[in-house]
Order: sequence, then structure tokens, then C-alpha cells
Amino acid sequence: MNALQLDNVTYTYPSGTKALQTISFAIEEGSSLAILGSNGAGKSTLLDLILGYKQEPGIRIFGKEISTYGRKELGRTLALVPQTEHYHFSFTLLDYTLFGRSPYLQAMGNPTADDAEIAYQALEEVGLASYADRSITNLSGGEHQLLLLARAIAQQSKILLLDEPTSALDPANRKKVLSILSSLHQRGKTLVFTTHDANLAYALATHVAMLKQGSLLCFGKKEEVVNTEMLTTLYATELTVCQLGTETLIY
Amino acid sequence: MNRARAFAHEQSRRRLILLALVALTFLLSLLFLFAGRYPKPGFTFSAIWNQEGMAQSILWKVRLPRILLALVAGSMLSASGFTFQMLFSNPLVEPGFLGVSQGSAFGAALMIVIGSSTTVMVQLSATIFGLFALLASYLLAKRFRFGGSLLRLVLSGIAVSAIFSSALGVVKLVAEPTKDLQDITFWMMGGLWNASWKQLFSILWTVLACMLLLFSFRWKLNLLSLEEKTAHSVGLNPKRDRLILLVVATVGTTLTISITGLIGWVGLITPHLARKLFGSDSSFSLPGSMVLGSLFLLLCDTLGRTLLPTEIPIGLLTSLFGAAVFIIILSLKHQGGKA
Repeated sequence: MNALQLDNVTYTYPSGTKALQTISFAIEEGSSLAILGSNGAGKSTLLDLILGYKQEPGIRIFGKEISTYGRKELGRTLALVPQTEHYHFSFTLLDYTLFGRSPYLQAMGNPTADDAEIAYQALEEVGLASYADRSITNLSGGEHQLLLLARAIAQQSKILLLDEPTSALDPANRKKVLSILSSLHQRGKTLVFTTHDANLAYALATHVAMLKQGSLLCFGKKEEVVNTEMLTTLYATELTVCQLGTETLIY
Repeated sequence: MNRARAFAHEQSRRRLILLALVALTFLLSLLFLFAGRYPKPGFTFSAIWNQEGMAQSILWKVRLPRILLALVAGSMLSASGFTFQMLFSNPLVEPGFLGVSQGSAFGAALMIVIGSSTTVMVQLSATIFGLFALLASYLLAKRFRFGGSLLRLVLSGIAVSAIFSSALGVVKLVAEPTKDLQDITFWMMGGLWNASWKQLFSILWTVLACMLLLFSFRWKLNLLSLEEKTAHSVGLNPKRDRLILLVVATVGTTLTISITGLIGWVGLITPHLARKLFGSDSSFSLPGSMVLGSLFLLLCDTLGRTLLPTEIPIGLLTSLFGAAVFIIILSLKHQGGKA
């Protein structure tokens, strides 16, 4: 079954500027999709539409039009890892991770001990379990990104949406996040992430959708679409795809 | 599973602290029934036990409704302050910062001056103008082209407050000095000396409903303090929930201050204290803040009515103690700018 299907999705900003034009593609459950494009290509807008934060017809999640989902049902199906999050209160890491359990709570309920165990497991997965009682205001940039990921993992959704998941990370934290995402993907989680980094797209994705100025330049399995010609067209600069042993390097 | 047990244990510990605070507030309320300046200053038990008519009458008709009003008003103002802080992701916001208090004061004063000074009309006018001030602050902030969204909101709140303060000044100028002006001045100073059963019941059910509604949103308030997109992604309808909470908090605040007058600092200080005691999770810090609000106003009001032969306006005491507690909290430990 298709986890995600877009049929001629178009989005226009309230100012009248067209952000996305007739985007169509579909991915199966368990795929990993990179939405690749330069800054301002419409990647984040597309992610907002898939999340249901901005609403347009033509987006189906597991065969069902997104507008027909209830809020909590949607929260149990899709989780978001935003690019960044600003905190104004000093929640603990556990508090923050527990926020991911919201779609499972009763209308006026609070998290239970079982929810706490799931949150602890999510913190463990990203390596922050020993800091569970620490304040989120004392985190480094890398830890911050890992915490955002932990909250989304605790949400136990079928699809994980990530907005530029590694763009602000140093190489060590980038590697860590990549390894966690690869592990989640291997365990059957469907990933959809935006990036302008072709190397990240190639390393993590099974499918790539290239966006240029709001239009879909190409979509397909990464081996079919990530090549020198397509990347050069996408970024309007000469890029080379080459093999280094088993690794693919784009520069 | 040990971690889950530790979590459950911590939740129980917080619940116990909350219950202890409720019990303390209840006991103090009972004790303060016997505090006052009749038949002599201080605590008087004998006159009431000896069934002295006047002393009993004062206890049932004056002190009891007054104490209940202090508890309800303290809790409501704290719940509103807490809600505003979470909704605007700013620990320095309270209804007064966004023009709600000044708008309500203007609404009440206007109704007093144009002669429809029945309690219901004053309350209605205070509520409408309080909501209008909130809306004006919100819309003005959207038009401002300076600073981030929170700064714009606080700045527009200052502007709206100032406009309503000026308008209130004009209303005071034309007010009839022997009656209307006194009523308006009461508003500005804040106080519970007018408390009666009739006044208490005129707001009680609506205010209790507002508090119950805010309480039922205590978990969601956590999520509403995050980015709107994140709140949406964990299953909330943030636009709808924010609107509901803003209206409920504003209605509760304006109704309360239509009886008590402007009482500052309660809505600002008790959420900070509650976060110190219960942590930032609103599941506990919101109810904690509500109980602390009741306790704070009860203590200030009892001091205000017993300390001197002349009553000290409660607004003066809440400002004095509020500012002192605020300074102490902020000086205790480095917070990294977060509440």
C-alpha cells in the first residue's frame, strides 16, 4: 500500500505567489523519501502539506485523503521533527519527550507510567536517557536535534517527517542522527525528509523527489534519478556523482 | 520498568504537595475567619463561640464571602496568568500586559458613569472591553514591523493599555465626584472590602466554569507553548485551542476584577512559584499555580484587613510581596533566561 500519495498538488501563498505546482508522486510503506532542492524550492511547504499543517486536496496517507483524518489519528500516523524548536520554559528532557505521547492520551488525560517507559526508550535510542531529568535549556545544538528526534520516536507513528534533519549539525552528531534514522528505516518506519544536501539524500533515501522553483524536476528510485545531469540541472551548477568503493560521493 | 515506577512515584509526590497546599489553604481560611478588628484587633474566638450576635454576623456575612472571594479570585487570576504565559510562550506575560485589565477597568468605569451601574451591566461591559483590548493587542501586534512576534505582542499590549488608561482618565474627569468617582477609584486600587454573598454568587459559577475549563487543558498547555506546527503534529488543533483558552482566561479575569478591582502581580508571580515547586509541566504547575494564587490572595487580604485600623488596599500588598518574591526567585539560581 502507498504510505504517501500526491496527485497534482498545487499550493499558492496567501500573497498570490505560487509555491508548488502540480506535484505528483507516491511511495510505499517502508520507503525513505528525500525531498531534495535548493533553498526556496518549496521543500518545507511540501512537508507542511504532507503534515496537514497547510491544507490542499490531493494528498493521501495510507490511501486516505489527509483532510479526512482526525487530529489525533493524524498524530498517530505522522510525526514531525522540525528543523528547530524554541523553548521558553525549562521542561525536562522527559517532559519534552512525553509530548510525543499526546495523540494517545484521553481527552483530558495525562501520560501514564507506560507512556513514560516509551519516552525513556526513545531517549535511550538517541542516547539521552541518562539526561532525562535535565532541563532542555541546557542542551547543546546536537543534543537539541536528538531530543526533537526522541519526541518524534516516542510518537510511534508510521511515518516520520523530518525538516532538514542534519543541516545544523557537526560531523559527529550528523553521523549519529544518520545512524538512528537508518536504524528506524530498517525497522520499517517510512521516512520523508527535506534536504539540500545530495549526499544525505543518497545516503538515507530509497527514493528522491527533486524540487526546483516549486515544480517537481524528477522523482524515482535514488539510483535512477541522482546523477550528474539531474543534479546539475537542480542546482544550476556543475555537480559530479562518483563511486568511492561502496560509497557514493556527490561534490 | 523501574524508570516507569520512578515516574509514577514522582507524579504521586507532586500530587501530595498539591494536596498539602490545598489543605494548608483550607486550614488558613478557617483560621482567618476569626481574624479581624471586631470585637478587638487580632484573632477572636470567644465572641463567636459565645454566640455574640454582631461577631457571628460579621463572620458569616462579611468574612466568609470575603475569604471565599479571595480564594476564587486568586485562583482565577493565577490560572489566567499561567494560561497567558503558556499561550504566548512568554513567562513575563499576564492579562494586564495585553491590555485586558485596563480594557476591563475602562469598560466598568464607562458603565458606572453612564448610569447603568447594576452589577451585571458593569460585569458585562468589563468583559466586553477586556476581550476587545485583547483582540486589539493581537491585531496591532500583527501590524507592527518591529521585533519578533512576542516583543511585538508585548509592545502592542503596552500601547493598548496606555490608550485604555487615558480613556479611563477621561471617564474619571467627567465622573460624578461623590459616587461614580469613588466606585472607579475602587477599581483602580483593587480590594475585597465590598465582598458579599450576592457579589460572590454573581460571578462564582461562570468563574468556576472558566477555571475548570483551563484546568482540563492543563496538559495541552504544554504543547501550546511550543511552535504551532509542532503542536499540530502531536494531534492538537492549536488555532482553535488557543482561541478557546484566550477567551476563557479573559472572561474569567474580567469577571473577577469586575468585583475585586485591579489586582496586579498574582497572575505573574504564582506561575513562577508553581514551576519552582512542581516543575514546568503544566499538568501540575497549573493546578499548583491556582492553589498558590488562592493562598497568596488570602494572605494579602487578611493582612490588609487586620494589620492597620484602616484597610490597606490589596493591590498595594500584592504588588509589594509579588515584587519581593519575584526578585528572590530571579536571584536564586541562574535560569538561562527560561522560566
